[in-house]
Order: sequence, then structure tokens, then C-alpha cells
Amino acid sequence: MIERVLALLPRRKGAAPIVPEKSVAGRTLLFMITIMSFLSAVTLGGVVLVQKSAIAWSADVGREVTIQIRPVEGEVMDSNLRTAVTLAETTPGVASARALTIEESQALLEPWLGAGLDLSSIEIPRLVVVQLTDPQDADIESLQRNLAAINGASLDTHAAWRQQLNTMAGTIVFSGLLVLVLIGAATVLAIIFATRGAMATNREIVDVLHYIGASNKFIAGEFQGRFLSIGLQGGLLGATAALLFFALIGTAAGNMLSSEAGAQVGVLFGRFALGYDGIIGIVAVIPVIAALTAITSRMTVRRFLSETS
Amino acid sequence: MIEFSDVGLRYGNGPEILRDLTFSVEPGSFHFLTGPSGAGKTSLLRLLLLSLKPSRGKVTMFGEDVSNLTQDRLLQMRRHIGIVFQEFRLLDHLTTFENVALPLRVLGQPEHEYRPNVTELLEWVGLGQRMDALPSLLSGGEKQRAAIARAVIARPKVLLADEPTGNVDPELSSRLVHLFAELNRTLGMTIILATHELPLLDKFPYPRMLLSKGELVIHD
Repeated sequence: MIERVLALLPRRKGAAPIVPEKSVAGRTLLFMITIMSFLSAVTLGGVVLVQKSAIAWSADVGREVTIQIRPVEGEVMDSNLRTAVTLAETTPGVASARALTIEESQALLEPWLGAGLDLSSIEIPRLVVVQLTDPQDADIESLQRNLAAINGASLDTHAAWRQQLNTMAGTIVFSGLLVLVLIGAATVLAIIFATRGAMATNREIVDVLHYIGASNKFIAGEFQGRFLSIGLQGGLLGATAALLFFALIGTAAGNMLSSEAGAQVGVLFGRFALGYDGIIGIVAVIPVIAALTAITSRMTVRRFLSETS
Repeated sequence: MIEFSDVGLRYGNGPEILRDLTFSVEPGSFHFLTGPSGAGKTSLLRLLLLSLKPSRGKVTMFGEDVSNLTQDRLLQMRRHIGIVFQEFRLLDHLTTFENVALPLRVLGQPEHEYRPNVTELLEWVGLGQRMDALPSLLSGGEKQRAAIARAVIARPKVLLADEPTGNVDPELSSRLVHLFAELNRTLGMTIILATHELPLLDKFPYPRMLLSKGELVIHD
């Protein structure tokens, strides 16, 4: 099966490779690079997902503020709601303001209190959702001052949530990038060991090449070509596996959850959709891994040859 | 073409393997290098191949003192020297054609340029029908002819052969030396052939360099 897949991958054309294609070190290295590419691509995809979700959520939350009006004895809720809507609509930078109906307010409490309860006899806090045209230009302070006139009214800008979210997302992105660097370092070390092993295994070839007048540069180029091919194949297999992984996760998440729960999970954690930038990032893993493999092996071979010459 | 003057060679701090070697080799000549096992034949060939530097004395090749050569110059000079080993040293994963073409690939020639030359040479050494065979499918004689073809395909000025007849029967040995003689005669290649097979020395009237205990006792 693996042989058939590998046969489909790009191969160098022309004269037969001087460094044998079928060597144990080559196979082991191919397997290792495939795993490293997969891990890199999954980490990168995860970072992209988290960052996209955080940006989208932060932007959504940032474009909206909420006025909460608590029931206060002696105050008429409907009147206070109308006043709050008017105050909001006259504030610079506000696109619209809408008071949630009593049914919408009850629906918001359903996840905590359960469905089917009659809440009409209980006074519950009411909300006015205020949409901003531009969070930067909106005069939130003015709105806050004006709302002081309404007894029981408070303004929630979600600033603490956004900060918490940004901190969490930043930590995950930083951790992901750190993991990527560590995977890269582990890959480089593995390639160094594999290259030195391959050089020792193919010592006879190196000697013969020296005897027939090959320069160290030529020999390094032959090994680099072999390792570049392995890097490309491993990168391609790993990135393809990662793309399939994200496609499967996305499909599974869509199928396993009900539409309502799925929507809530989607709001909180994103849709597991990588988007073009995520896919481009994962595809970029292929040339990066291939280049890393080729450059590392070339430097290792040059050093090995200068040590043994 | 090749001049040795009071050359000595030792490995590390060990005893001298070669001592006081003084001789010269003229362009287009053919020499047998002979002597008992351990006399230093292979070490002398490695000096001639420029893969070793003498511990003392002066070696001049192609008019240049080899002791002060840069890595690049050393590489250029080595390309004027072909080598044939007793154990053939063909690359097992390459076909006969690919093995023979190797020195030209190293020089950067594209296949469409070197293919006619390699094919012609393989036919000349009698391997025209075995071009696509891997070394494991060749007989000892065929392997050695492929190794000789690889050594001469880039037209070196000097051809060194280290016991090239050591792994073949006497009749084939004689035919191989005929092949070297033919290369010397037709291409004017300088040949130094190391062997300890006395019948060969008697059969071919070429000058001999006899090494004994690291010293050159006869050079006629």
C-alpha cells in the first residue's frame, strides 16, 4: 500500500541516482519526516483555528455592548427599556439598539433553568443589545454617563472577557509556535543522525566518487538530492494526512453534535474550518520541510566529508 | 610526467612503509609494479593517486609539486588519474553503463553527450551486450572490464591498476593485461599496473618496478 502511494509521488528523472534510493535509512527517515510534517501541519492548523476563532469572537463581542436593567421596585421596566434604547441610539458610533423581548430573555435563561418553566411571574433582568458601527469611534463613556439616569441600569462592554480571550488565544498561539520550533529542531537532529548513518552505510560510494575525481560539493549535492526527495515525499504525505485529519474532525464535529449544540460549540471554538490561509499554511509545510531536510543533510555531508578527507 | 625524489611514507607515528623512493615515469609508458605482499605496492599507488601525501621527499606530477596543492587543484589533478582496483569497486545499484558513465557525470556532462562515448567504449571492451546488467550479474572478468572502462572513460593521462588480475583466472589475466596494453598503445595512456603474478611479467615485456620492504630495488 505504502509502496503504491510512494510510486505516485514525484521522482527525479534522468540518470539513476548515485545514492541508492532504497536504503533502510531512507525509509526510516521518510517515515520520521512524514510524522514530523503531520505534527507540524496539525500544530499550525490548530494555531490558525484558535487565532481565527479568537479574532472573530473578539471582533463580534467588541462590536456589541449590552445594557442590563435590573428590576427595581417602583421603576417601570418597559419605560426604562425605551429610555435606554433612546439613549443608546443617540450615542455617537452606535448603529442600532434593541431591547430583547421577554421571551428572548427567558430563552437565554433556559440553559441554566431548563425549558418549560413559566417565568412570567418572576421579574428578571432585561437586556438591550447595542450594535456599534465602529468600536473605536463609539462614545461608550458618554453612554455610560447617560445610563446613570436609569435606576438599575448597567453597561457591559465585555472588555474583561475580550482581554481574557485574547490572553488565552495568545498563549495557545505562542505555545503552538514553540511546539513548531521544537518539532523543527527535532527534525533537524533526526536528519543529522540519519545523514551520518547514510554516509557511513554508503561509505563505499563516497570512496569511489572521491577516487573518480568527484568534489565534496558534488557528493554533498548527490546526498542532498536524495534527502530533498525524501523531504518532499515526507512533507507531502504528512501535510496530506493533516488536511484529511482536519476534514475528518470538521465532519465529525458537525455530525456528532445537534445543530443547536453545534452552533454553540462553533461560536466558542470555531467551526474547525481552516480556510484558505490555514490550507496554504499546511501546504507550505511541504517545501519548508523539504528545504530543511535538504539544507541540513547538505551541511552534515559537507562536514562529514571534510572530517574524513 | 611523474617524479619521486627520496620519498618516504609512514602512517601516523608508525615505521616507514616506503623509503627513499626515487624514480620517474615518462608519458605514454607502461610499468609493472611488483613485489611480495606487504612490500608497499598499494601505498605507492595511493601516493600516485594523490590520496596520500608523502611524509618526506618530493613528488612531482604533471610538472607540479603535489605537497602544496590546494584542494581544488588536487581534485583537478586527480581527474587526470584513473584507478582500477582488484575488488572492482563497482556500485552495485547502478548498471554497467551507469557505472562506466560515472566519471563523466561527475564532470557534469549530460547523458545525451556521454551516451555515445560510453556505449562505444563498452563495446570496445566487449560489454556491448551487458550494458544494462547490474554488477551482481556480471562475471569476474566482465566486472574488471567494466571497472577498466570506468577508469579510462574520462581519458585520464595516467591509469593505475592495483592487482587488477587478482580475482580472475590466468587466461583472463592475460587478456586483461592485453587490454591495458591496447589502451597504452592506442590512447598513449601512461599505465602503472601492480601485480605479483610472475607469469604476466614474463609474458609482457614492460619495465618493472620491484618493491621490497618499502624500497625500490629494481626499476628498469
